[in-house]
Amino acid sequence: MIFVKFALRNIRAYRNRSLVTILLTTLTTAMLVFATAFQDGSHDKMLENAVEIYPGYVQVTHRDFRDKPSLDNLIFDAAAVRAVLAGHPDIAAFGERFETFVLYAGPEKAVGGMLTGIEPEAEKKLSRLASSLVSGAYLESGDHNQLYMGYELARRLKVKVGDELSFVGTGADYSFAADNLQVKGIFKTALFEFDASAAFVNKQYFDEVMAAGNYASHFIVLPARPQESDVVAADLNKRLDQEYQAESWRTTMEGLVQAMLVDSIFGYLTLGVIFIVIFFVILIYTWLTVFARMREIGVLRAVGTLPGQVQQMLITESVLLALLSVLLGGIIGACLAYYFNLHPIYFSFSEEQFKQYGLAASSMPTAFEPLVILRDMAVMFVLAVGSTLYPIVKVNQVRPIEAIHHV
Amino acid sequence: MNPLKILMAAMYVLVHGAAVSASPVDDLVKRVEDNLNGKTAYMEFTMVVQTKRSKRTMKMDSWAIGKDKSFIKITYPGKDSGITFLKVDKAMWQYVPRIEKTIKIPASMMLQSWMGSDFTNDDLVRESSITEDYQATLVGDDDKEYFLDLFARPEAPVVWGRIRMHISKKFFLPTTVSYYDEEGALVRVLDYLEVKSFGERFYPTHWVMLPQAPEKEGHRTEVIIDHAVFDEEIDEAYFSKRALKRFSR
Repeated sequence: MIFVKFALRNIRAYRNRSLVTILLTTLTTAMLVFATAFQDGSHDKMLENAVEIYPGYVQVTHRDFRDKPSLDNLIFDAAAVRAVLAGHPDIAAFGERFETFVLYAGPEKAVGGMLTGIEPEAEKKLSRLASSLVSGAYLESGDHNQLYMGYELARRLKVKVGDELSFVGTGADYSFAADNLQVKGIFKTALFEFDASAAFVNKQYFDEVMAAGNYASHFIVLPARPQESDVVAADLNKRLDQEYQAESWRTTMEGLVQAMLVDSIFGYLTLGVIFIVIFFVILIYTWLTVFARMREIGVLRAVGTLPGQVQQMLITESVLLALLSVLLGGIIGACLAYYFNLHPIYFSFSEEQFKQYGLAASSMPTAFEPLVILRDMAVMFVLAVGSTLYPIVKVNQVRPIEAIHHV
Repeated sequence: MNPLKILMAAMYVLVHGAAVSASPVDDLVKRVEDNLNGKTAYMEFTMVVQTKRSKRTMKMDSWAIGKDKSFIKITYPGKDSGITFLKVDKAMWQYVPRIEKTIKIPASMMLQSWMGSDFTNDDLVRESSITEDYQATLVGDDDKEYFLDLFARPEAPVVWGRIRMHISKKFFLPTTVSYYDEEGALVRVLDYLEVKSFGERFYPTHWVMLPQAPEKEGHRTEVIIDHAVFDEEIDEAYFSKRALKRFSR
């Protein structure tokens, strides 16, 4: 307890030095907490966008469909899968899709693309297709040969809402399939590749023209709590027939998840470099402050204070200062993270760049995760105390008589 | 093939018009190509497409001049009847009566399945340009067949990295053709069976295409030539875009 008293006295006595130390550590802590919150938040947002635009949180497919996506590996009993999904308590919505590759022929040229049969009403809850409408109208459940197509695909085919175009493709039974379609609506998701190749029709019509009744290439499932997608997928795998499998977005979008992980690693590496610099700044600053107190330490040693006791006193000072700064910095960082979580940062100037990278979001909320904030505070505390240890040990190695005469 | 035979083959080429072909192997490939294409050909054939789940039969008629011009009309089943395809050089068009439209098949669709079979659009367009796009090497032979390896020429816009062709010594027609991708993996095998005579010509009347990709397990496409007439005059009118609609009926 005596060391705490000494330490507090010293902190007060060297007010300016203490203030600078507190300021430096507080700012660094706040920066770390905010940088982590921003990085995690933007990654979460990018993933959420990518998942919600079209792929969905959980996909049910034939077990071999992902490795061998052919017409032989479809869901051939969509009604059975539908029954399992309808009976699951943790599913908020689900819908079936049938994706196939076709050749679209516009008035001037033909372009290859995806033609997908969807359930218009269910799809509204599962993806952002309906809300991405830019002209015309979204599909309805009674629609016949009405097409809802990507903006870029429409541009390439030189068609607009109301125009006619045709498609030629292969039906679910490998037979020849072709029909004339009318453009009902055009969407733009900002995922350029998707907008350049995707178009949708009502599944009922699709089934007729593609001989795909009771078939689906996959079901999209929205769990009641999307953050529990893995749990829902695992549970569905127990309930579904062995022939089918449910996978969460973490598996279906593995590439993007890994890209985000790599980006996080680079983010932390950059932060790491910054913190090494900060570590040395604190170390040098502590060095200067401790050696400025050399005479005081020499006197303490001369009156019989043991080196260990001096060390303990200085470390206690360092711990108290670090604790205070980390708490302050943590609170400031947490407040910023919380504020920008509620009011996302909007990058209006970089919207085009975001699109180029296939990211639909230019407004990025920060993540507000108390546990992560505590982790960052702990890291800063260790860093702040750690950086003072070397000068403290070094100053104790000086002999008292030299210390007293130190200028 | 032993060195003596190669020498003899070389001598043969020297004596019998080496001016038209670069090597005895090229001469062999050219001869096979000519035997397959003829000057002109009219054929009626049946295509049976077998998949894991279904079996479909289609019938069609085709008219061809050399290797550059061909016209195909689907005659069965009724729902596909009247669909026509025109190939001139390396371009391909399709007419579909149901939508009353002629569509030029874009380059990006060349690897797509043709009529749901294991043949691709590219097969119809490029199959005949082997002498132009591939460099042939004789790798061996036995009593009945020559074995050739055809490697894609560096600048050739082709799909296959290598083609292994077995050629019948009796008919100078292919018997088995194996297609490998650029990584050297076997993608599909085409067998030419049941050679029959049509006038002075011999022609394989039963073709079996077996895709080797895992997702094509259980798939098989058979082409059975029901009737063929070679080297008789064919109306040039078949090989224009207007013909697609005109001869569709």
